[in-house]
Amino acid sequence: MATISINHLSFSYPTEDGQKPLTLADVSATFPDGGFSLLTGPSGSGKSTLMKIMSGLYPKFGGVITHGEIQLNHTPISEIPETDRGQLIAMMFQNPNQQFAMDTVERELLFTLENQCVPPSEMMSRVDRALEYVEITALRHRQLNSLSGGEKQKVALAVIIAMKADTILLDEPFASVDPVARQLLLSKLAKLQHEEHKTIIISDHDLEDYDAYIDHLFVLNGTGNSLTLLNETDAQEKMAAFQRQDTSDQQLSLPTKVDQPVITAHDLSLTAGTSTLLKQPEINFFKHHITLLTGANGTGKSTLLMALSKLHQYDGTLLLNQKEIAKIRNNQLYRQVALVFQDADQQFLNVSVAEELALSLKNSQAAAYFKERLPGFLEKLQLDHLQDHVVYTLSGGQKKKLQILEMLIMATPVLLFDEPFTGLDFSSLQTIMAIMKQVAHDCHQTMLIVSHQLFGLDALVDYHVTLANNQLQYVEGLA
Amino acid sequence: MNPSLKFLLAVLIALEISFTSTWMVNLALAIIGLLIILTSRPPLKRLVLLFFVPLIPAVALAVAILLQSNAGMHFALVLFTRIYAYVFVGSAATLTTSVSDLVMSLEQNAHIPSKFAYGFLGAFDLLPKIVSEVNVIRAAGNMRGQALHIWSPQLYFKAILASLDWSENLAEAMTSHGFSEGAPRTYFKQIRVHWWDWCIMISSLLLLQIALFGLHLQ
Repeated sequence: MATISINHLSFSYPTEDGQKPLTLADVSATFPDGGFSLLTGPSGSGKSTLMKIMSGLYPKFGGVITHGEIQLNHTPISEIPETDRGQLIAMMFQNPNQQFAMDTVERELLFTLENQCVPPSEMMSRVDRALEYVEITALRHRQLNSLSGGEKQKVALAVIIAMKADTILLDEPFASVDPVARQLLLSKLAKLQHEEHKTIIISDHDLEDYDAYIDHLFVLNGTGNSLTLLNETDAQEKMAAFQRQDTSDQQLSLPTKVDQPVITAHDLSLTAGTSTLLKQPEINFFKHHITLLTGANGTGKSTLLMALSKLHQYDGTLLLNQKEIAKIRNNQLYRQVALVFQDADQQFLNVSVAEELALSLKNSQAAAYFKERLPGFLEKLQLDHLQDHVVYTLSGGQKKKLQILEMLIMATPVLLFDEPFTGLDFSSLQTIMAIMKQVAHDCHQTMLIVSHQLFGLDALVDYHVTLANNQLQYVEGLA
Repeated sequence: MNPSLKFLLAVLIALEISFTSTWMVNLALAIIGLLIILTSRPPLKRLVLLFFVPLIPAVALAVAILLQSNAGMHFALVLFTRIYAYVFVGSAATLTTSVSDLVMSLEQNAHIPSKFAYGFLGAFDLLPKIVSEVNVIRAAGNMRGQALHIWSPQLYFKAILASLDWSENLAEAMTSHGFSEGAPRTYFKQIRVHWWDWCIMISSLLLLQIALFGLHLQ
């Protein structure tokens, strides 16, 4: 049992020239003991920063607290020895790839228990229990690198359970997790709260699915200077406003005979490590259409996009405009196909936002079109005031918006998107989808989008392909 | 054998043969090394590489000595066998030890700070990731109309940036999983130094001295 109270906290990431712009300014709140709290706010408002301060990672790994403090059970976090902290508070990160130090699932759990000075004789039983709790005993000896985003988050939760932390912080934990895994994780967290009286704090900009679980809703405003606990009615209202339209009865059409295939596969097979992801006798993706690709975590959606952009080996035939992708030379291929990576950092080549945009404009296949419209796009995406910022210092949502925009500017005929909507708040999401739709239409692009988040996609996509049981299949329903 | 002592022994042997010139001892060490390598059942490809890669410097050295100096056949033979002794003794140590066992032994037996031990392990796990990251960076460049050649500074800038990022993430990941520099830890797999480890080490070194001095005195 633990109470976290934030007292007049101000936090800053000092810039090179010695200025201290405040990311969080004089925020105060108390997260109730044993409660399930949700912390929300637009992208870039400082949710991740606040979570990292609560977990004690900041200011050790970045930034400075300019004023105030956070107390855990009336002791300032900074005064709790690092060795004791793990039993009090543990955190699951936003990016599933960033939270492990070892190579396999079991070793990571053992490493954590060793750090906590657990007697070696107890370790195995704690590892067993933690893995069983999250239902991932089968992953025990797997390499962490080979797991999907959702599987990694399950492992991260197992580690937290093995640590027996009283307070569990989760920083946008479901960004790359499919709906099934998300429900499982949420129900496990609720069980931890009710049966073991853990305090749970989740940050998320997306409120879908939470109303059955949460007790308290905190809102951090866009500029990071006010953190408020909403009362019952306001919270209900906010959740209701976020209530997703039910996507289950939305219908899309199936491809017609007149559609021109741009990507064709015959007897395509994809593998990751020793497991087969895809065995596909025949599939086409069609020119000048936007196709959505969905499937559970770890089924191979990202791998398919990587294969299409020659970053993953495949067996069988995979044709782009009747040419074998593996045989097309890189500089030719990438003028026809481009991939919007899941991790925005991988896309950036320069330092500042302005340089990134300039590079895309310079090499764009539709430079005139974008030169005219860029200022409008930037304003709509609220990136216009960030031109001289270093791209790596942008928030998760801002990075995503910049990344999508600069790849749209390239106007590559076939554009692949790997989870482009993660970390985007509601209004950014709608804006970016509208821009994608407009550009795809005006520049005659073909798009293939992998996404877990389905909200509003019926307006954007033409076709829907699901990946399940190693097979791709066109379907009519959206959900 | 205990991994730390095994590596110490390999280094001591290498040092000693660097200062002696008895080709028969070098040859014997290479053969013993090879036998130990064979017990680990390496894939054939690795075995072939082990024979051929040292051949280049070994032959080059021997030929250079024969043609360019008047040190003679004996010295050329010593250098040739010495290279093979280095490679086979070194491989005998590395191929029979897993990286994680070595790191755990260095931490528990040699008492190097655990920060270095896990940093090393983390870096080792990153190696394959660096290769694929470089491919991704080059593809990302091509997709934006910017060819990044192997000599492009931008390629290295991005690769270094990615590594810095990873090292920071690794440090945060370790901290968030309870790791604290200098704090006491328990060990699930305890690696001990047994009396027979010392026996193997001391008797190997003794045998080496006897062989070296015995042959030298002749």
